[in-house]
Amino acid sequence: MTRPLLEAIEVSKSYSRGNHVLARFNETVKAVDQVSFTIQEGESLGLVGESGCGKSTLGRCLTRLHAVTAGQILFDGVDLAPLSLRALRPYRPHIQMVFQDPYASLNPRRRIGDLLAEPLRVHHRGSKAEIAERVGDLLDRVGLLPDHVHRFPHEFSGGQRQRIGIARALALNPRLVIADEPVSALDVSVQAQIVNLLLDLREQLGLTYVFIAHDLSVVRQVTERVAVMYLGRIVEMGRTDTVFRAPAHPYTKALISAVPRPDPTGASRAQRIILHGDVPSPSNPPSGCHFHPRCPVAQDRCRHDAPTLRPVGPGRQAACHFAA
Amino acid sequence: MPPDVSMATVPPLLEVTDLRVAFHTERGILQAVDGVSFRVEAEEIVGVVGESGSGKSVCLMAVLGLISGPYTHIEGSVRLMGRELVGLPNRELRKIRGRDMAVIFQDPMTAMTPVYTVGQQIVEQIRVHQPLSRKAAKARAIDLLDAVGIGAPAKAADRYPHELSGGMRQRAMIAMALSCNPRLLLADEPTTALDVTVQAQILDLILRLRSEFKSAVILITHDMGVIAEAADQVMVMYAGRVVERGSKNQLFANPLHPYTWGLLASIPPLDGERVHRLPSIGGLPPSLLDLPAGCAFSPRCRDVSARCQGERPVLDRHGDHARACFLPLESVAAQRRAGLAASLQPAEAFSE
Repeated sequence: MTRPLLEAIEVSKSYSRGNHVLARFNETVKAVDQVSFTIQEGESLGLVGESGCGKSTLGRCLTRLHAVTAGQILFDGVDLAPLSLRALRPYRPHIQMVFQDPYASLNPRRRIGDLLAEPLRVHHRGSKAEIAERVGDLLDRVGLLPDHVHRFPHEFSGGQRQRIGIARALALNPRLVIADEPVSALDVSVQAQIVNLLLDLREQLGLTYVFIAHDLSVVRQVTERVAVMYLGRIVEMGRTDTVFRAPAHPYTKALISAVPRPDPTGASRAQRIILHGDVPSPSNPPSGCHFHPRCPVAQDRCRHDAPTLRPVGPGRQAACHFAA
Repeated sequence: MPPDVSMATVPPLLEVTDLRVAFHTERGILQAVDGVSFRVEAEEIVGVVGESGSGKSVCLMAVLGLISGPYTHIEGSVRLMGRELVGLPNRELRKIRGRDMAVIFQDPMTAMTPVYTVGQQIVEQIRVHQPLSRKAAKARAIDLLDAVGIGAPAKAADRYPHELSGGMRQRAMIAMALSCNPRLLLADEPTTALDVTVQAQILDLILRLRSEFKSAVILITHDMGVIAEAADQVMVMYAGRVVERGSKNQLFANPLHPYTWGLLASIPPLDGERVHRLPSIGGLPPSLLDLPAGCAFSPRCRDVSARCQGERPVLDRHGDHARACFLPLESVAAQRRAGLAASLQPAEAFSE
């Protein structure tokens, strides 16, 4: 097997909450708790889960926008986790990020041409004329017009701004694009346009995606493999088709069954598993398996014995004592 | 019995006729709701779908009488149980709001005041409309919290909104809305801010309340999945107008407006075969300050004709299914079949 493009080995990220001078008086939130996975070049991995599950924190750790607390992030064999910001610089162009909120992620005082040229200038990619040409290419790639370079972000709609965000992420020809909820702020009809654009770009440029989203149907559309997270841990991982067709972990089952289907017969409703309660706070997660207080099949063992991610089929893993 | 009584038909619970809401802005008159008519029968759940700017929320605020001010202009009629609400003084409206109709907003955190406990807020709501003692109102508040599925309701009543989770807050807000047994509940994206597993709980609750509290519900959402689960009747709005209206089954099985069809088609399926490309609606929703002439959807419509660009289609009925479109009915079905095959529209450049 070829070397994976990205390999995360037991990555953890914790925050301390509170402002006591002595660290032991502050509570620690384990946002990401010993997460491991690999992504091959050209593959798309989905990270799904509800709010507070750590999917966005994990995404930001992979780009090293956050420092990790423990673990390794191997990008093409090089561990990025311990590198200083200066040592990271040569790797930055290869890993780029698309953010959720296209209104907040673009500087309102700068023109589009400027926003797209900045990464090229910072990384010394060509002369002024070459950069201008590249900016034109980028706009064209994401379905915008050449004369948009002179406009400001507020002159664009949400969908168009997300196109600009994508163009900026692509400016330096990255190998890995981490997209954090790239379509969730958009209207339904525009969502489909952006999803299609991401699929096209991947095909044309051979990109690798980490696609973070809470919308399961979008993740199914975009990714080949998916990792389901719950309170900082991966509870199930496998091929997207298989996981959606036959989820192994009880949380995945409930999550997939909970999505309202556009099917007026109500057939999907009949099979719904309705979980009780809310997602617990990550600052004080339940003992043992984090999911046990809401789990319909929990046993005594789950209360104190945390299950590890183990193989449950070809290319498939689940962290449940009872997953077949 | 005098004939006029026996012959009189019972008025629908809510009847909205030709509602128009305009805002006067610096950049001109913004017609947010443009001639919307619909009715809600008792215990019925009417779903309203549309994207941002479609006028769905403004429509709901106008029904509640919450839109006022020097720069707004409201026309048309809103009748609740036969009584006209448009033009009613605020003093009268306040008696009706909360008692006969109540609202559930998208974000319970901003809809509740942070400085009173959940219990105090429900008690206040009850005592405004009903002559109950503080103690009796508190007991009723706890009953309500229990009815919406909050465990340990007495404890929850003494909590402040920020101490509850998102799902619990939304339940508390529903309890508050139900406190006077309103005949009509208006819910504006009640599940959008919630996680999927909690959304399923709240939808389930809304359906249960209909049978237990006998309330009719107007359910505003952008999610066709939520509509399919909960609504009986559906209205699809676009740029301030209703473009299609019908029963849920009609709308999903046989959408008559190209916009409805596009919305349904652009949802990635969660079950069955994965499609290679999503059929998407090209272009963007129009700005309400700069609406295209003719049909507002015409610049994005694949079946646009010269007539669509010059003339505005009105809602015409086909049985109890209505749509505002010039496209002949026969070609709607053909278009949908063709649309599925040709869902490979490239991402287009925007000329805007």
